Amino acid sequence: MRRNLSRRQFIGRGAAFAGAVALGPTILAACGGDDDDDAAGGSGGGGGNSLHVDNWPLYLDEESAALFEEQTGISLTYTTVVNDNNEYFATIQPSLSSGDKVDADIFVLTGWMAKRLIDLGWVDELPIADVPNAKNLVDSLVNPAWDPTGKFSLPWQSGLTGIAYNRAATGRELMSVEDLFDPEFRGKIGFLLEMNDSLGLVLRADGVDPENVTFEQAGPAFDRVEAAVADGQIRQFTGNDYQDDLIAGNFVACVSWSGDVGQLALDEPDLAFVIPDEGGMIWSDTMLMPKGTENIEAVAEWMNFCYDPVNAARIAAYVGFLSPVQGVQEELRKSEDTAALADSEVMFPPPTADVLAFNPNLDEEERALFDDRWAEITTG
Amino acid sequence: MTAAVIQRRAAPRWLRRLGSWTLNLVAIGGFVYLFAPIFVTVLYSFNKPRGKFNLVWQEFTLDNWADPFAQADLTDAFVKSLQIAAIATVIATIIGTLMALALSRYRFMGSPIVNLLLILPLTTPEIVMGASLLNLFVDPPLFGNSVDRGFRTILIAHILFCVSFVALTVKARVRGFDWSLEDAAMDLGARPRRVFFRVTLPLITPGVLAAALLSFSLSIDDYIITLFVRGSVETFPLFLAGAIERGISPQINVLASMVLIVSVGLLLAGTAFGRREGRVTPPS
Amino acid sequence: MAKETDDRTQRRGGWVPYGLLSPGVVWLALFFLVPLLTLVRVSLSTQESRFEQKFSFTWEFKNYSDVLSEFGDIFLRSFGYAGIATVLCIAIGYPMAYFIAFRGGRYRNLLLGLVVVPFFTSYLVRTIAWVSIMGDEGPFLDLIRALALDGALDGIGITDNGRLLATEWAVIGGLTYNFLPFMVLPIYVSLEKIDVALVEAAKDLYSGAARSFRKVTLPMSLPGVFAGTLLTFIPASGDFINAEFLGGPKNTMIGNVVQQQFLVQNRYTSAAAISLILMVIITAGVLVYAKVLGTEDLT
Repeated sequence: MRRNLSRRQFIGRGAAFAGAVALGPTILAACGGDDDDDAAGGSGGGGGNSLHVDNWPLYLDEESAALFEEQTGISLTYTTVVNDNNEYFATIQPSLSSGDKVDADIFVLTGWMAKRLIDLGWVDELPIADVPNAKNLVDSLVNPAWDPTGKFSLPWQSGLTGIAYNRAATGRELMSVEDLFDPEFRGKIGFLLEMNDSLGLVLRADGVDPENVTFEQAGPAFDRVEAAVADGQIRQFTGNDYQDDLIAGNFVACVSWSGDVGQLALDEPDLAFVIPDEGGMIWSDTMLMPKGTENIEAVAEWMNFCYDPVNAARIAAYVGFLSPVQGVQEELRKSEDTAALADSEVMFPPPTADVLAFNPNLDEEERALFDDRWAEITTG
Repeated sequence: MTAAVIQRRAAPRWLRRLGSWTLNLVAIGGFVYLFAPIFVTVLYSFNKPRGKFNLVWQEFTLDNWADPFAQADLTDAFVKSLQIAAIATVIATIIGTLMALALSRYRFMGSPIVNLLLILPLTTPEIVMGASLLNLFVDPPLFGNSVDRGFRTILIAHILFCVSFVALTVKARVRGFDWSLEDAAMDLGARPRRVFFRVTLPLITPGVLAAALLSFSLSIDDYIITLFVRGSVETFPLFLAGAIERGISPQINVLASMVLIVSVGLLLAGTAFGRREGRVTPPS
Repeated sequence: MAKETDDRTQRRGGWVPYGLLSPGVVWLALFFLVPLLTLVRVSLSTQESRFEQKFSFTWEFKNYSDVLSEFGDIFLRSFGYAGIATVLCIAIGYPMAYFIAFRGGRYRNLLLGLVVVPFFTSYLVRTIAWVSIMGDEGPFLDLIRALALDGALDGIGITDNGRLLATEWAVIGGLTYNFLPFMVLPIYVSLEKIDVALVEAAKDLYSGAARSFRKVTLPMSLPGVFAGTLLTFIPASGDFINAEFLGGPKNTMIGNVVQQQFLVQNRYTSAAAISLILMVIITAGVLVYAKVLGTEDLT
């Protein structure tokens, strides 16, 4: 009986074929110099036809994004992958520390993290000369502590940290950080994972200046939070999801950010936000251009667009935080829907508001001390 | 088993009944337990939340089902997950099946080592796997630079953990097969290629399909490993994690319910298909 | 028995088996073994800068002892939670598997499918649903309060002052839930293989269902229990999702620590050390368990 192909040969060849089919595309994909599918806009080339922005969630409305593309003809890849400063830093660290580029042309990080990147030399100077609208930056944010020359960053939105609480659940108005430590609310208090904000409030309650705090000075505040965790006063450390817990009734009060509660209160009138008597915190999320970015023209167009008061007003109305652009308040007054926002103290706090920033000048070693102590407290 | 017969009085009837009923109760309770969150998820897909979070029941509505793709970034992440799962499944199934065939059909040197290599990833906690892959990409040996994390790295990771599952699943199905069936077919005059397609393939197909299904669901649901190697890509599970923070829209519940419906559909179809095939190998 | 069939009809294939294996082995070697070795190297290095990511390989065994002293209690806690969850999975899963295998009749496959179907929704969707269910004002606690059991639950330490979220039992409950099918399926597979006639004969010989179960059914189902335990305990120990969403700062598991060290604090050396310790403990545990149960091969 003749067999044209011995069975062994057939199986062998068949398997080799199948193996090649399996590995082939993968190897090609891995070896291919082309970029991944996720950078749909493509960030190569010096031409200003595409732009990749990494930002925090809920910081841009769809209308503004569409308008930008229309007006400038630049294809915008906008991803909301910044959920936490440290987490995002971990994703860009390998590339930037070895001198490679990252996919993003712009990323938005909080002031203290911006300072770290500026000091590390991982961001390039912004093309401010090509951003005429940059002159609209509010005075208080010109040459800020985290970017003294003002050449590397342009703020996106600022915000306040205070206390959010459910009036109906507490039965009274809360005024002070001490209320968060009130045994009456044991097990129903939330703190933010973001150390700068949570610790900042406690520091203020203790009378310590957070803008110049050292690790030693922060000791008692750390201890206080630790004790509150141990005896069950603080129920959980959360990210933005404290909003879940506020609504679901799991928290009665928590450390929170101004813009969030402003939004929540529109639907849930029992929720209130207050800057504590002892003072609150202020922070800014700011735009940075990573080292090696080539789409500089597009970057300039974007920043110019965002600093136009009309666009800035639209964005501010959506976001609910503090806009860094002058003239936004007047713009909001012009339209019926947004006129009420123009009077919002949460979005336009009076100059007398007692808010301070967290020390952006901690060097790596000292920051590590802070981070490690905080990690100890939050993970038990 | 010893041949000695132990004569003792049987337990009283009522006790046996009680035992029996307790068993049934626990079993049914288990099913209820399994479906509790599913029920809640599907239920909340019909909810009309007042604010950003779909956590508290407000009122019934069909709007969400009318417009399930309203949230663009959610849909994008979902599609991305499907893409990754599809590619990873195809590749992992091929690689894994080849391995399973090699291990069950042939006797060769080094098979215990290969078995061990297959099992090791399963004994590794996901977090260790994710962490070590991240380490590899960040600081690859012999390479100068780090590897950019993104779609490709996620794919690599998913194929990695799926291969073991596929290989073991197919191996389990194929175990005990009488490979001399192939010889019989050849003796009857069939050419090798025909033997493969008419004898071998039908025998292993159920196992391969089951493995592929398993692989697909593992990939589409993977959170931990993907979190480490994702760079800035957003997959469905990762989006959900973010959603918990920023806003759980009812669309999430709708999409999850849809996945459920499709999966159940596939399951029923698979069962019907399997029953039609019937058994070829005598039960061992 | 199956082994004999394999041996009898298996063949030597020359280079063919190696050819079939090569894609898989290459893949596993490249993306599993190599990273593992890299992880070992990092775990024994000193990290010179957290921001800059520079390591120098210095046989720094101190990393391991540091990690153990810093996180030893969290390790224990994780194994504790995973262990309790595994026991609960057996307690609930075994009856379920038994029910399906011996009482399922025609509906066996359907019931089996029902066990798996809930897991076609995403892990996170299920966890969010649990957050909803276990919330302070959620249905579970409402029911408990309606039944006036809240005092009792507080008393035995399951709830903390009337709340369930952010307690250890919430985390354990979540773990149990998520790994239940991994326990049910293997046990079912081993029960299904048991010849019903054997069980009947045993019942006659031992004159009692309970005793026949203990002497016949149970031992024969042990491989399934073993497999189920592995598939439950191993992933449960390294889990961090349940602790993150259902637990509080006092309920963190080692998985959360690793995630934090890697992704937040950039402490790669200690993260690597923790990961390896976890893996070694688990593998050792698996081998011991296998010996104790007397199963021959792990598949």
